[in-house]
Amino acid sequence: MYLYLPVALTSINILIPIGLGLAVGLLSGLFGVGGGFLMTPLLIMFGIPSTVAAATDSNQIVAASVSGTYAHWKVGNVDFKMGLYLLVGGFIGGLIGVELIKVLRAMGDAGFVIKLTYVLMLGSVGTYMFIESIQSMKKKKTEEVKEEKDSSISRFLKSLPLQTRFEKSGVTHSALVPVVLGGFVGVLAAIMGVGGGFLMVPVMFYILRMPMHVIVGTSLFQILFTCIEVTFLQSYTNHTVDFILAVLLLLGSTVGAQVGVIFGRKMKGDQLKIILASIVLVVTAKIVLELTLTPSLLLSQAGGH
Amino acid sequence: MKHYNRIIKFVVCLQALFILTLFLEVNSASAQLTAKANHDHITVDFFYHGSTVSVRGISDPDTDLIIKITSDDGHQILREKGKVGGVLWMNVGELKLDRVPNMYFLHSTKNIEEILSPDQMDKYVMGYPALEKHVGMNASDQAEKDKWFNEFVKFKESSKLYGATTGQISLTKGTDSQNYYILTQWPYQAPPGNYTVSVYAVKDKKVVETATSNVVVEQVGMVKSFANMAKNNAAEYGFISVFAALAAGFGVGMIFRKSGGAH
Repeated sequence: MYLYLPVALTSINILIPIGLGLAVGLLSGLFGVGGGFLMTPLLIMFGIPSTVAAATDSNQIVAASVSGTYAHWKVGNVDFKMGLYLLVGGFIGGLIGVELIKVLRAMGDAGFVIKLTYVLMLGSVGTYMFIESIQSMKKKKTEEVKEEKDSSISRFLKSLPLQTRFEKSGVTHSALVPVVLGGFVGVLAAIMGVGGGFLMVPVMFYILRMPMHVIVGTSLFQILFTCIEVTFLQSYTNHTVDFILAVLLLLGSTVGAQVGVIFGRKMKGDQLKIILASIVLVVTAKIVLELTLTPSLLLSQAGGH
Repeated sequence: MKHYNRIIKFVVCLQALFILTLFLEVNSASAQLTAKANHDHITVDFFYHGSTVSVRGISDPDTDLIIKITSDDGHQILREKGKVGGVLWMNVGELKLDRVPNMYFLHSTKNIEEILSPDQMDKYVMGYPALEKHVGMNASDQAEKDKWFNEFVKFKESSKLYGATTGQISLTKGTDSQNYYILTQWPYQAPPGNYTVSVYAVKDKKVVETATSNVVVEQVGMVKSFANMAKNNAAEYGFISVFAALAAGFGVGMIFRKSGGAH
């Protein structure tokens, strides 16, 4: 059955957005990522204009992340305190990132920098997570070396002022750490035009040392607020949110997020990391191919990422 | 008496004018071109997935026909992809087009190059080469213009908004006239607006007669309400979008919790 989308000005088989929502919602519930880096290109592939795809995706992430956050909160897997610090940093970082983009656009190299950041960040994060998870699963001697390396980082982190205890995560950090890290992810997310969940998850695991299951819930909590802001701003300034498309997507994503949470609780942290790393690497490979293979069309609709 | 003569003269003149008009009408009736689209008002509701529009009419039996379906000319901006550093395909600039229709379909009884002279093609904007001359573009030279116009046509054809067919118009010949008919697929990608169906009768490589019909595509009901709200009440629309997403997320979360899914 086809439905006409009043803002996208196109017609779509309803099974496509519901199916996409289900698949991306599943990833959201499993790994605590919004899934924008997957959903937006998929929607464009199915004929949705790029500006509408990006804005409407934010709207459905609101639904998927609230569904996932609720499920994780009920089982005690959301660190609200950590989430709020990260949010403050992410908000400041987002503002800096937007200004940075303006400077890059004025210099005329914005597109190149954005793509390069995408490939480098996705590629390095994916590769690191993949290798680290395999090593961790094999439980090789590398643990001792890691301990050595970690202690220097943790010594530095512990020397910072404003130390505070994050009970849910079972860690103690300076309040500046999540704010600065949130800011760093915010800058990158603004440059790359994505929510940044796939960057935030490794940051929380490797630097903040949070347990994997709390990371997923806390990441979703943070993504929820970012996407509420983006959805409203896109509706208000660009008029590019397609409510009907968002409803179709969230029909799938809210259910997918719940199923993801159920699966996630049955899986080990290393298994979760290795699957997320594989997905990130596949997306990186896709972007590299897009950049190097001759496209079938040399023109595209203006607007969007 | 003088007055009476004047009245008689006036009536004779009127009669002569009437006979002349009749004569002209009868003379052109056999060749008069007509055009009628069966759907002149396409309504776009939630279940709209494009439509079919048939164009039919009468024309002189000795003429070939060209049917052009277009939207009004407008301005378009597209992103150009090019190679950066000889390796990476990236957006390298913007293609700005003026006097360009968003939709352009051309159907003809024969190949238009065979039935129409180049200057007539240009005059009536028939075929992609004539359209290229008609369109304004930010290209540095003719080679650039050719390259990007070809890419533009490829882009539009892939969006199902441009196309050309030959021999799809069916003709039923009579003694003094012929009936023509074509059934076209109206793409759902064509946005709401006014479209013109122009029918050209062609003889000796020249357009000898034209007839037009209009098609209006309009959003109706809830589709129209949503589109208007997104544009005119953006803040309200934004709040509703966020609220609906929050409610749906919580709703599904509650359902799963009740069914024990999240435990």
